[in-house]
Amino acid sequence: MKNFTHLRVASGYSFKYGTAHANQLVERAAEFEMSALALTDIDTMAGAIRFTKSCEASGIAPILGINLSFIQKKYRVTLLAQGGELSSLYRLVTEINLNNSENLLTHLLLERFSQYSRNLLILHGPESQLAQAIASRKSHEALSIFNATRELFANQALECVSHLIRGDGALSTSYAARILNFARDNNLPAVLSNAVRMLDRSDGPVADVLDAARKLVPLSSKSVNRQNSEAYFKASSEMSYLADEISRLAGERDGKYLLKTTADWAERAILSPRKDIGIGEIHLPDAQSLGAKNQSELAAQLRSRCEAGLSRRYIGAKSVVAASRLEEELSAIRTLGYESYFLTVADITDMSRERGIRVAARGSGAGSLICHVLGISGVEPITHGLLMERFCSPLRGELPDIDIDVESARRLEIYGAIFEKYGKRCATVSMVETYRSRHAIRDVGAALGISPMEIDLIAKSMPHIRASNIPKALANLPELKHLNLDTPILKMAIELAGRLDSLPRHLSMHPCAIVLADQGLGDYAPQQINASGYPMLQFDKDDVEAIGLLKLDVLGVRMQSAISYTLSEIERIEGAPLDIDAIALDDKKTFDLIKSTRTLGIFQIESPGQRELVGKFAPNTFNDLIIDISLFRPGPVKSDMITPFLATRHGLRTRPRIHEDLEDILSETEGVVVFHEQVIKIISIMTGITLAEADEKRRQLGDIANQQAFCNWFYPVAVARGYTNLVVNEVWEILRAFASFGFCKAHAAAFALPAYQSSWLKTHHTAAFLAGVLTHEPGMYPKRVILDEARQWGIKLAPIDVNLSGVTYRVERTSDVARAPYLAPNVASSGEVLELPDARGFAIRMSLSDIDGIDSKEVANIISGRPYLDLADFVYRSGASRPTTESLLMVGAFDKLHKLSTSEINRRDLLLHLQDLYRLTGSKRTTGQSQMTFELQAPSLEPSGLPDITASEQVKSEIDILGMDISSHLLEFYGDFLNKIGAVRSSDLIKHRSGTSVLVAGVKVALQTPPVRSGRRVMFLTIDDGFGCNDITFFEDKQADFATVLRNSWLFLVRGEIRRTGPRGISLLGTGAWELAISHDKWRNLAVYGASGL
Amino acid sequence: MFEEAITQNPATPPPGARVLAPEGEPIEFIYNGHKFHIHAIVSRWRESGGWWNRISDGKNRVNEENIFDDGARAIWRVEAAPVGALATFEIELDEVTKTWLIRPTSRPA
Repeated sequence: MKNFTHLRVASGYSFKYGTAHANQLVERAAEFEMSALALTDIDTMAGAIRFTKSCEASGIAPILGINLSFIQKKYRVTLLAQGGELSSLYRLVTEINLNNSENLLTHLLLERFSQYSRNLLILHGPESQLAQAIASRKSHEALSIFNATRELFANQALECVSHLIRGDGALSTSYAARILNFARDNNLPAVLSNAVRMLDRSDGPVADVLDAARKLVPLSSKSVNRQNSEAYFKASSEMSYLADEISRLAGERDGKYLLKTTADWAERAILSPRKDIGIGEIHLPDAQSLGAKNQSELAAQLRSRCEAGLSRRYIGAKSVVAASRLEEELSAIRTLGYESYFLTVADITDMSRERGIRVAARGSGAGSLICHVLGISGVEPITHGLLMERFCSPLRGELPDIDIDVESARRLEIYGAIFEKYGKRCATVSMVETYRSRHAIRDVGAALGISPMEIDLIAKSMPHIRASNIPKALANLPELKHLNLDTPILKMAIELAGRLDSLPRHLSMHPCAIVLADQGLGDYAPQQINASGYPMLQFDKDDVEAIGLLKLDVLGVRMQSAISYTLSEIERIEGAPLDIDAIALDDKKTFDLIKSTRTLGIFQIESPGQRELVGKFAPNTFNDLIIDISLFRPGPVKSDMITPFLATRHGLRTRPRIHEDLEDILSETEGVVVFHEQVIKIISIMTGITLAEADEKRRQLGDIANQQAFCNWFYPVAVARGYTNLVVNEVWEILRAFASFGFCKAHAAAFALPAYQSSWLKTHHTAAFLAGVLTHEPGMYPKRVILDEARQWGIKLAPIDVNLSGVTYRVERTSDVARAPYLAPNVASSGEVLELPDARGFAIRMSLSDIDGIDSKEVANIISGRPYLDLADFVYRSGASRPTTESLLMVGAFDKLHKLSTSEINRRDLLLHLQDLYRLTGSKRTTGQSQMTFELQAPSLEPSGLPDITASEQVKSEIDILGMDISSHLLEFYGDFLNKIGAVRSSDLIKHRSGTSVLVAGVKVALQTPPVRSGRRVMFLTIDDGFGCNDITFFEDKQADFATVLRNSWLFLVRGEIRRTGPRGISLLGTGAWELAISHDKWRNLAVYGASGL
Repeated sequence: MFEEAITQNPATPPPGARVLAPEGEPIEFIYNGHKFHIHAIVSRWRESGGWWNRISDGKNRVNEENIFDDGARAIWRVEAAPVGALATFEIELDEVTKTWLIRPTSRPA
């Protein structure tokens, strides 16, 4: 045997143990001209598919196994699947995971599942009970250990490993020789391995850090496993040398026999990537799971369900078009045999709706009419020009991907229903968490014993980047410069953190993916039970795709929960249910609201960047909304489609007409190709190929290497069909520029629907909608900004009240006069007059859940004890803790109960009264357990004559306890100062000319530093001032001076230059930023001491 | 040939003991002025680790290929003789500095 096969190799998937990526090991094996390689990670097979794919690419034969605890926790062995028997290994690993929490293969389990183990090979290595018996010179015991499992495995071998450790302990040459001697004496097979955990000798320090991180101790000679660096991936010659050394010490001439047995064993364990591991297979749910006997019954079921759905959704001429499109789609599905796929997804969306849970489709699936008529997707595909071919076609060898969005608050109910119905046919999918900068720094820091505070500071300052980019970040980010990172130990920490980069760290559950397959799922992948108690494949989403398992993403979308809550509030307040899925998509008031850029809380279009874009764009139709969402995607932004689109849309540029055949396709987006669907149609029209073929061509365009091939094909075909060279040229230019950056229109349309629905609800049911947003927090803004938004529409903010507040934010009708609602400044430059909502007459009652430190049980107790007669009654009966009661009092939850507004008593008196109450009842009182007996009369509540709490104290309590300002906006206290210095309200900004330098103030809403094309960092600050939001952009030249303030402050005074960008598009170019309180103090001091000006 | 091999560059003679190891394995060495020939390698082993201590001690010997001074060394326990009696030695190669160290040991391992 010329080339050695490593039978025992731990990759990075041996979490916090292996230092090399599976593909690096495979590449090294290929470099060493090895023909096969095993992957035997510790306690997991999570790397199996990635490893197999690398092997296939490098022409290496894969061997799969696992290293696990055997009989006792401290003993470890390695199991290998025999060729053709991989599913036995998967099944056994799954059973171990399901039946033993410690991943321990006990003798009992082994006997119970011997139908699997009998197909497996076992290696008794240096850490095995068997080897340790041999080392203690207990040959008889060793032999009986071997014999005890003889019948339970296909074959057993002793594994000799020498890491050239000094002396004769484990991993020394003499230890390996003794094991070999035992094997020879008893005529048992022995193989050689190197128990690999690193790629190179120089990876030793990385292994040490991982050992320390795994054991959660600092580095010391006790915490690291290794004594030298020999556990690396050795070449055949080095292994052969070791084989000679061990064999000679065992009394043999050379290592030939040992190497021969190793090669024989490798031969037995070689797997076929396709036949055994299943790369490229497809396993859809079986007909039986859907109540059908066979494929043709499934097809009939799909057809009848689609036809029923079609007749419900289409009438008249449209239904004829739809019927013929349905035939086309059904025939494609029949060719692909995907009937069960569509029926299963439809079944799941049906199950959700039966439970009253909102569902929406996401992604390219919305392009399919079948998805629409089955009720999977709400968007009507024909009117919007969405294509099935973009989603799925017989020409593409991969499974289509449907994602469904459900209410986040009820997502697990759907999981429950799916597992109940599909049982062993389904499982969740894992997700490999890898080392990125922060984790790497933390683990290295802890290992090196750097003080936790110092590490914490560095880790928190780190942006979320790859660990290997840390040095670059340190060099470029001004706010990291003050960290003194020049000490040798910190330099080393940073170097090591870089070497941990992207190593797997932990296997967790993919947040939303479920695999649905047939009864044989257990044969295709190993499973474990995850932290949430669901069965989980050890494979991640790419792995399951590679072995053809249907993955359904069930995404929890908070907006769906918010919409659902809004609908329930509307029904409660107005007494009639509202079918949001039936509203017309052309409501003018809804588009007025969008155009006003007051889109906070709305799905997809609330971010500062989107508010700027809708301000420039002024969308008028649902299709505009689809375009808007598409334009804001990274691809379109990167290739700058927005500028030419808007220029044409606003008549600043005349769009050249290329050819009348393309007019319909191009006019939709002002000549800019935004959608994949447009590319597909253009290719199809100009070359006469089908849409499915055209989609394949489109995919080709995405790869620069293939563009030339496309071009060579496209020109002659298009010219032959009668297009002039000029036209073909122009089209080619467009395709080349935009094809790879476009966005799938079906995906955008699927997003546009909840975006429109939430806009509609905000327009017509503002209070209920904002209550939904406050309750489920779907968006990017903190609650206090949403509260301020509510205030601006004329909604009263009703304080927490012990008798009225609920678990959630509730809408109330009120006759209280609120402030006048926001009106879009309809100045000449801002275009048409907009009609905006007026939500006066409604109040939103703050929820009990927002009290700092309150728990859900306390809330439930308070609610069940209602009504309360007074504070004393509340203290005695509510079961609320003292801090909770004090907090409630401070935010005014007893104001109404004690009629504070009309009585002598103020909140300070109530506080004193509360102290009396607690003094009387003693401090032992615990929540709701002991019944209080009164020997004395409750203390009386009398005015003390102390002054009431001031408005600013009130707001401070609100911020401390609730994290938001309710009674007044934080900025009101700076009103004088801001007026004096001439700061501009955000709502008045639009009245100023472009280029003017202004001062604005506000509370930090968001600070974003997205990656930009140029690589230069831009900081986007959003602040709110009680009149709306200001969005300020800081470029690199200003960051050195202001980055620290921007990161660390909360209340800002900002200087900026106005940029007008469209009818209502406005933003500020930041030229300065200061902490508001400090500026205010300076101003006051100047005023007091008489200096002039600011 | 022996002298040439161990003093390749007379201007900067390598520090440490003089050992002839043409393919990485020691064959001959000079100890106490006597030339010894190795008859047998009794055992060999390798050691490394403790790099984190050398940082705080300021004894980190780093070079371009070794960012971390992992203290790697390879040791051979050999039976060797000048002319006459056989003795046991440990020969150590410090892989960071590429210097040799020779220790006589009282008994074969």
